[in-house]
Amino acid sequence: MDIFLQLTFSGIALGMIYAVIAFGYQLTFATSGTLNFGQGEALMLGALVGLSLAGGVMGGPYLNYWLMIPLVMLFGALQGVVVERIGVRPSIKTKNEFGWIMSTIALAIIFKNVAENIWGKDDLTFPSPVPAAPFQIFGANVQIMQVIVVLGALAMMLAVEMFNRKSIYGKAVVATANDSDAAGLMGINTGQVVTFSYALSSATAAFAGVLVAPLTLTGATMGTALGLKAFAVAIIGGLTSGVGAIVGGLILGIAETLTGYYISTGYKEVPGLLLLLLVLAIKPSGLFGKTTIKKV
Amino acid sequence: MKRNSLVLGIVALIVLIAFPLVITNPYYIHLAETILIYAILLFGLDIVVGYTGEVSLGHAGLFGIGSYTAGALFFKLGVPFVFAVPASIAVTAAFGALLALPALRVTGPYLAMVTLAFGTIIQILINEMTFLTEGPLGIKVPKPSFFGHKLSEVEYFYVVAALMVIALIVVNRLLKSHFGRAFQALRASPVACDCMGVSVYRYKVFAFVFSAGLAGLAGSLYTYSEEYISPNTYNFELTILFLLAVIMGGRKTRSGPILGAAIVVMLPSLLSDIELFRKIAYAAAAIGIVASIWLLAKKRKTIREVAIPLVATIAMAVFSYKLENIIDWRLTIFGLMTLFVVYYLQDGVIGFLRNMLEKMWPTGFRKVDEYRALANESLAWEKSGHSASSSADLLHANQVLMQFGGLKALNQVDLKIAKGTIHGLIGPNGSGKSTMMNVLTGIYKPTAGAVEFNGGVISGLTPSAIALGGIARTFQNVQLFGEMTATENVLVGLHHTFKSNVLDVMLSTKRYRTEEHHARIRAASILQFVGLADLANEEARNLPYGKQRLLEIGRALGLSPNLLLLDEPAAGLTAPDIKELVAIIRKIREHGITLILIEHHMDVVMSICDTVTVLDFGQKIAEGKPAAVQSNPKVIEAYLGGDAGSAESPSSTPAPAPFPA
Repeated sequence: MDIFLQLTFSGIALGMIYAVIAFGYQLTFATSGTLNFGQGEALMLGALVGLSLAGGVMGGPYLNYWLMIPLVMLFGALQGVVVERIGVRPSIKTKNEFGWIMSTIALAIIFKNVAENIWGKDDLTFPSPVPAAPFQIFGANVQIMQVIVVLGALAMMLAVEMFNRKSIYGKAVVATANDSDAAGLMGINTGQVVTFSYALSSATAAFAGVLVAPLTLTGATMGTALGLKAFAVAIIGGLTSGVGAIVGGLILGIAETLTGYYISTGYKEVPGLLLLLLVLAIKPSGLFGKTTIKKV
Repeated sequence: MKRNSLVLGIVALIVLIAFPLVITNPYYIHLAETILIYAILLFGLDIVVGYTGEVSLGHAGLFGIGSYTAGALFFKLGVPFVFAVPASIAVTAAFGALLALPALRVTGPYLAMVTLAFGTIIQILINEMTFLTEGPLGIKVPKPSFFGHKLSEVEYFYVVAALMVIALIVVNRLLKSHFGRAFQALRASPVACDCMGVSVYRYKVFAFVFSAGLAGLAGSLYTYSEEYISPNTYNFELTILFLLAVIMGGRKTRSGPILGAAIVVMLPSLLSDIELFRKIAYAAAAIGIVASIWLLAKKRKTIREVAIPLVATIAMAVFSYKLENIIDWRLTIFGLMTLFVVYYLQDGVIGFLRNMLEKMWPTGFRKVDEYRALANESLAWEKSGHSASSSADLLHANQVLMQFGGLKALNQVDLKIAKGTIHGLIGPNGSGKSTMMNVLTGIYKPTAGAVEFNGGVISGLTPSAIALGGIARTFQNVQLFGEMTATENVLVGLHHTFKSNVLDVMLSTKRYRTEEHHARIRAASILQFVGLADLANEEARNLPYGKQRLLEIGRALGLSPNLLLLDEPAAGLTAPDIKELVAIIRKIREHGITLILIEHHMDVVMSICDTVTVLDFGQKIAEGKPAAVQSNPKVIEAYLGGDAGSAESPSSTPAPAPFPA
């Protein structure tokens, strides 16, 4: 039972990471109807840049963990702008869906390869900013970092949500998400909003990267699987629902840690992917998404 | 044209046969073999990517299933080549069907992610199911043996080459037939495709199954070619490589996949030679600079437009000079190539060359429309196969209720359409006219009530079944198959006239050829009837708006319907076009086809309709002869608002008729 509880706690921490990445997918999907297939790579770059600043891999540490976070998010935002400008904007203009899918994939491969060449192919350990010694809840071991992950993820999502609801810039984002053409006619620069949403989305992913890095290993290959499973979460929860992302993330995170322990670590990716296939085959709008009526 | 491609084919065949005789280095023979194997897979991938327009990131997984089926069958059971290869095709095709299930519900980025998930699962399973696949250790398989003779590398090359040629011919025939047209149609407009009696469901599954079968064939051949397989081959990188090959070579062609396969197979060997890579990069930069200067001098492009490719090529040259170990940067180069192809070479190398040739030598590419001479308007009409029931009403919508959430878009509407009439359906915007159309054609299932057509209940049937039952339609916002020619659009409407199955098409039997011939004559006749004979080989998206509307009518006539629904056919048309349209509608009725006409041009409605039904807020408010409806106070109120009838009636002046008759 203790083990089960412990697995559940790890699953929750992992699930919140998925939720944050999935949230990033939702941000760009809402404003532009596009997704960054390299979301996982944005996370990976965030983690590696964070490691270079706060760890010893590049002659550092230059900063402590907490001061490094804003810099990493800034880096993430810039990376998001690059993806949007090179990969997405030209395709949105020509309404070429195939174009942005392929070019964000291409950019993802490039980022991964560049990271491999800079940081090497081996996984690196990320020094934990808090004591690694676990404390106990109901007899199960919980790491302090896991708690930070959960709180950090929630704080990030809340911050974005508040920004959208309270600030005038956020209202521009919401307006563009609701009806891009109408927002454009009301004088909102929708192109800028889309760029902004990509910056925000990648910054979120980079943030998730430095959150998860102390719990796992960091390396060029860490992003791809995370990105794919986070997409599964975004779909399970519905691409339009923030709560859905959290619920989907928790379902997947827990399912994964349980599978990894009770079946085999080799299979731990499988439940998420199967869930993705099932949800898309049965209820493509997700558990919390709205079904749209097709108009002819 | 035909003779040219025949000559080209024979030359290619000779090159293929002569290759191992001229180049005896086994390394190059093996390389060529791999190109041929990839080409087989890419033919299949092109069906999904080029024709149905979906991004599949799962083809490396399918390739792996094919490889491992052959590998495991040999390793565990000692099954020989001749049985292992068909088994691979069958097993992989079955997985293709599995992959098609989500593809029926979702498209675009969703489907791309689904296929990616599928590919990832397959790789995990190959790694983990060690009892079948030996896991990371991999499986060793020798070259196939026939009657105790083990094939040499060269002999096996010929086996692969022969299978590639067969695959090429079969795929080519399939894609040029009504199957290929169905694939393209379901991409361009799934709704219209269903409404032409071509089931999107069926053909999407078919496309995936066929594509997977080819991947299975390629995979099993690959097993025997490499003689050793391990899970890491079938990774994400390979999937991207396949996609790059298809789009770089050129979609919707057969030569494109072959060229693409050659590029991606040779690329790693080219890249391993850094000197050669530097030379290529320098050459590309030089071409980039010269081309940019030329384009700027000729004022074809602005500085902004040439800046990105120019900077990219120069950066590439500098990068290659600095580079010491190119293998490590292989993926970056693939990524850059993909970006380049997506933005600057959308039609691939083959498409680019064809466009160039077409510009330089326009007459050579103009297709001779040999069917135009055979066309005859009378051939456009074929008695509908559906025997008409004896009752006077062709269609009876009985108390139809269509509810979206709390909104009743249609509220218990009764509609009877008398046989052989033109029945007008009018009403203000949002009154439920188009909803009615969608209910009648099966796009919406009514919340309550039933629709009877020709003596049978049709509500609840699929749109394609209803279309095949004899109801054809056009759309308010034109839903043509844009990248297909006018003729091909009509041929999709004639899809139901084909009884040939896949085997007929693959073997090009007499039955199939006769059907295709007849269908093409009829398509030409229909185009003549709607006045588009001159534009038969024009792509639908290039037609002017008015002509597009006429083409939609032509396509619908291909179904040989009993009932034709026209949804605002005159919208956006010029006055002369409307005249032409009215004449066409009259002629259609003369040929015994009943019509329902939704239209806002009241002069059109009033002049040609026998009966008019008026809807308002989802309810039927009037029905009768045009003149009677026109003076009905309820109708006037619906159109002009207010209480038109009572407010001014004491003065006994009749309410002004809102419609010019």
